[in-house]
This record gives sequence, C-alpha cells and structure tokens, in this order.
Amino acid sequence: MQNENRKVLLTIKDVKQYFPVKKTKLREKQRYVRANDGISLEIYEGETLGLVGESGCGKSTFGRTLLQLYPQTHGDVIYHKDGKDIDLKKLSKEQMRVLRKDLQLIFQDPYSSLNPRMTVGQIIGEGLVSHGIFKKGDPAMQEYIFRVMENCGLATYMFGRYPHQFSGGQRQRIGIARSLALNPAFVVCDEAVSALDVSIQSQILNLLSELKEKQNLTYLFITHDLSVVKYISDRIGVMYLGNMVELAPTEELFANTLHPYTEALLSAIPVVDEEDKRERILLEGDIPSPVNPPSGCKFHTRCRYCQQKCKEEVPQWTNVGNDHYVACHFPLHKNNG
Amino acid sequence: MGKGRYLLKRFVYIVFVFFIISILMFAIYKSMPGNPVDIMLGDSKTSMKPDAYQALYDKTVKDLGLDKPLPVQYVAWMGNMLTGEFGYSTQYKQEVINIISAPMINTVLLNILTMIVVFIIAIPLGIVTAVRKNGAFDKTVQVVTIVGYSIPTFIVALLAIFLLAVKFPIFPISGVKSAGLNATGVEYVLDRLWHMALPVLVMSVSGIGGITRYVRAAMIDVLRMDYIKTARAKGLREKTVVYIHAFRNALIPVVTITTWWVVGLFGGSIVIESVFLWPGLGKMLIDGLLQRDFAVVLTMQMFYVVLSLTGNVIMDIAYTIVDPRVRLED
Repeated sequence: MQNENRKVLLTIKDVKQYFPVKKTKLREKQRYVRANDGISLEIYEGETLGLVGESGCGKSTFGRTLLQLYPQTHGDVIYHKDGKDIDLKKLSKEQMRVLRKDLQLIFQDPYSSLNPRMTVGQIIGEGLVSHGIFKKGDPAMQEYIFRVMENCGLATYMFGRYPHQFSGGQRQRIGIARSLALNPAFVVCDEAVSALDVSIQSQILNLLSELKEKQNLTYLFITHDLSVVKYISDRIGVMYLGNMVELAPTEELFANTLHPYTEALLSAIPVVDEEDKRERILLEGDIPSPVNPPSGCKFHTRCRYCQQKCKEEVPQWTNVGNDHYVACHFPLHKNNG
Repeated sequence: MGKGRYLLKRFVYIVFVFFIISILMFAIYKSMPGNPVDIMLGDSKTSMKPDAYQALYDKTVKDLGLDKPLPVQYVAWMGNMLTGEFGYSTQYKQEVINIISAPMINTVLLNILTMIVVFIIAIPLGIVTAVRKNGAFDKTVQVVTIVGYSIPTFIVALLAIFLLAVKFPIFPISGVKSAGLNATGVEYVLDRLWHMALPVLVMSVSGIGGITRYVRAAMIDVLRMDYIKTARAKGLREKTVVYIHAFRNALIPVVTITTWWVVGLFGGSIVIESVFLWPGLGKMLIDGLLQRDFAVVLTMQMFYVVLSLTGNVIMDIAYTIVDPRVRLED
C-alpha cells in the first residue's frame, strides 16, 4: 500500500521451469524435476528483492530462468524498458543476447565463474566490446575499465593479471566489476557472498549497496543466509520446493510472519543475546523430492500446524495487505493486523 | 628467471637420460644373437676360399672396430654419434646418413599430411559434437569414431585398397610415385599427393576417431564450467563462447596429443608401409633389425630417444602458452 507510484521493472507471471529426469527404464513415462512450479511476482525499479529458501528449493534456477539462461518451460517474464513491455521468453537468441547488457548476473562461486585463461582486463572488457560500447582496442576502454575496477575496490595494476592470482574476495569483486561494467538495470546476485568468509561478505555487501545507489540498480538477491538478506533487502521472498510461499517487505516479514515455513526459517537465525532466546522450531525430515512433490500444500509433510485441508488443496497466493503475500490455508496469527 | 633455470635443469636431465639409454641400447644390441660381419659379407663365404675369406673377415672386423673391447667400442660409437658420424651400414654398405634421409622424408611427408587431415576434421567435429551432446548427430559420430578407432589399420587399408583402387580405381594401389614419371613442378607434386591419398586416408581413420573423442570429452568438461555461463550471461555471441572461452580451456589435452604426434611424425608405421609399399622409416627399422645392421638401428633409436625427451620439454613450454596458470618452475 505504500509507494503506489513505484515503477515495475519486471513482471513475472506463473513461471515454471522443469528439467527432464533421465529415464531408467525404457518405457518409463518422462518425469520432471519441478525446480520452479508457478512463481508470480513483480520486481520494482531500484529495490533489492531478497530470495531465501533452503538448498534445492529452486532459488538459483529462478534467477537463471529470469535471465533466460535456461529454456523457460512456462510463464512470462516481462521486462519493462522505456515504456515498452518485452516478453523475454519470446525473444530470439540474438535479441536476448543484446538485452543481456541490461540484465546481468553475479555468480555464487568466484573460483569457477571466471575463465582461467583470461586476464581481468579481458574478462571485464569482453562484454563491453560485444555490446558495442567500445570498439576493440579503443584506448578509452582501458580508462573505463580502470574506473569500473576502482569503483569495485580493485587496484588498476591488477588489469593484466589472471583470476588464479587473486583471493576469493577479490575474485568476487572482479565478477561484480564484470557485470556492472555494462551498466545494467537489473542484476541477479546468485548467492553472491555465500562462498566468502564473513568479514569479506560484509565488504562485498557494502560494495553492492554502494554501487546500487550510484548506478540506480535493481537486485534480485538470492541467498540462504537470512542475516544477509535481512541486511540488504527491501523485500524478501521465501521459497519452498519450487514455490514462493511468502513475500513481504523486510520489516513486515520479520514483524509479522505468516507462513509456518518462514517462521521456522526465522527461528534459525542465531541470536547473540541470551535473554532474547526464542523457541527454535526444528523442521523434521528432509525436503521432499521436487520430482514427486507432496499433494496439496507442498509444505504439509513438515508443517507443525498441518491439517487435513493442507494435504488436499493447494493454497492460493493471496495478498493480505501491507504488500504482504502468502500461500497458506492457515496463516499464523497477525500481531498487529 | 624461473623459466631459464627450469629449462637448464631439464637440459641437464635430458643429457643424463640420453647417456643412460644409449648405454642400455648399446648393450642390448651387442648381446643380440647374429653376426653382422657374416651377414655383410654374405655370399663371399661360399664363393671364396676359406683362407681368403678368413682374411677378409678379419679385415672387416678390424675396419668396423669390432675387435676392441665393448667399452672402447661404446666410447668410439658415442663419439662418432655426437660428431654426426652415424656409422656404416653393413646392409647397404653405405654411410647411415646417406641411406636414412630418403625414407625419413617419405615418412615425415606422410605423417604431416595425415596430421593436417586429422586436425582439420577432428577438432571441429569434436567441438560440434560436444556442443550438441547426446543429439542424433553426436550419437552417430560417437559410433562411427569408435568403429574407426577400433578397426585394425591393416583391415582399413585392405578395405580402402579394395574400394578405391580395385573396384573404383581412383588411386594407385601402392608406391611413392608413378613409374617412369619425369615431371617436375606442379605435376610432380600432384603425382606424389595422388600416391599419398590412400595411406593418408587409412592413417587418418583411427586418428580422427581418437582425437574427435578426445576433443569432445575435453570440451564437454569445459562447457560445464561456471565461467561458460558467465560468458553467456555477459551476452557474448555463442560462437565466441564456444570457440574462444571453451576451446581455449580444452586445449591442454589437445596440446598433449599434438606434441606426441609431432614426436611420432618421425616414427614409421610398419603395417602401412608394408601394405602400400611405402619406403619409410618403419620398414628401414625392421629390415635393420633383421639384418643385424646395428649402425642403422642404433642411430634411429637414439634419434627417437632425443625426440621424445625434447618433446616433453616442448610440451611443457606449450602448456605455459595455452594456460597462464602453468608455470615452469622447479
């Protein structure tokens, strides 16, 4: 209800991403891993949308599907650019390639995501040449790369070095410099700080927030680390087994948790103060298989409030006010609603 | 500084290994049964009087230096070897250096041409099959290459001769050039190439099979890497992603096989040379062995030793060129 005039950057409608499972028997029916099973949301310009969930719930797949790095199974991803609505799914490969300038990705693993045969200068400069921002060998390009490197906290003498000569934090900075050099509008940060140790994490998070202010970026921040997401996000989405179960502004989500899964997740954030110790909700069992998800509400097998209805009916994705969405038959008690 | 010291170290090592192997080879060949002098003098034994023959025999032994103790013979042989005197062939009754160049040229020509054909076909094929992994084209190529790789060369050779020289006489059955041809220039080159076509074809079959699979495996490994996704996410053209980002990283295994192939350029194939009556090094070596022509055999063996030892160093240097992470240090 706040900020009615926020500009929508991306509209995501019922996105599904299935991956075929290798058949073990000859005449077996083709089965699929339902990595994303119908996700709808809007991403506003200039916001940081945090996406949390446990391993294997499809967060990374969602980020990559948005950027059309996988052939999207179903649904629409509409990118609103200069008043035009572009459905990314319908673009040809070449049209999508051109749009990648605007839609960038920062990878999780700074060790494997940089080509070991290329220098830092080549890694950053290649995209610039490919998108025609600079001509190959343009002396102004080096100046520009130097500036980007400095913005990302890299010294210019590192220009001619190879990725293996850097530490993890520096490599992640290279990855960030690489994606931001293109001046994108939207960046998917796919577990961008998970591989780094805590002191470096905060440096990189601060760098990302700083750059966001400077370049008016929009982030989709994918992570499993709730303290990170709380620190950086304007809104948080919670995913479970390929579905979005709750989405709310950060303050609202922490103050007014509605979904039992979110409640369990939040209870797992470590606290420093002994006095403040909350009840830790332990989820029993493993995450069910996304090939053969449970009926009804997918979370019912592990939900401590589970009732008969949950096993039979799929809960609707509903707006409960305050920009707060949830998919649950029996949302938790609202404190101040 | 690291590079220079490393190369110096490797050089010392090569010299050391070279001498050890030379002693071993010399010892082995000297202990082989059969008397080279008898074979060299051949028919004279029956046609000459025993006394005269014995005199001739002793003289030959003395000329060849075979009457001296083995260590002395070794030192003399090694000294000659190092100064470019490769000895006297008892079989051809000529200096080794004079008889070895013609077959070497034949072999090297054949191998270079095969190598070019194999690389031109196998590398793009390997890349394309890796990109379209598990597609119909890939699966077909997989079957064809494993068949090509597994069939023994002589069968491929006989099949090729039957089809392309007998049924449809497009290429000559054997030989190096047309008999009595007195052409020069372009015509001569074309005639040589025409004669090389079949042996090159046959040798390429197994080469293409092996290298295609090798390149495909290396490329599949690389295409799985995250930095390939980075390259795509950057918005690079798919061609750039595959040929620049991926292939450069798949080069290490390719460099390994290329180097061994270059070393192998000088090794003849006995099967191919016998089937196509191609006077090359393979035939030279086997004839030399059968005739106890130690000067020829030892010279060739030592040449191969030097070649593979330097091949290793060349490979190390090539690694540093294709992969900046590889450093030549001790």
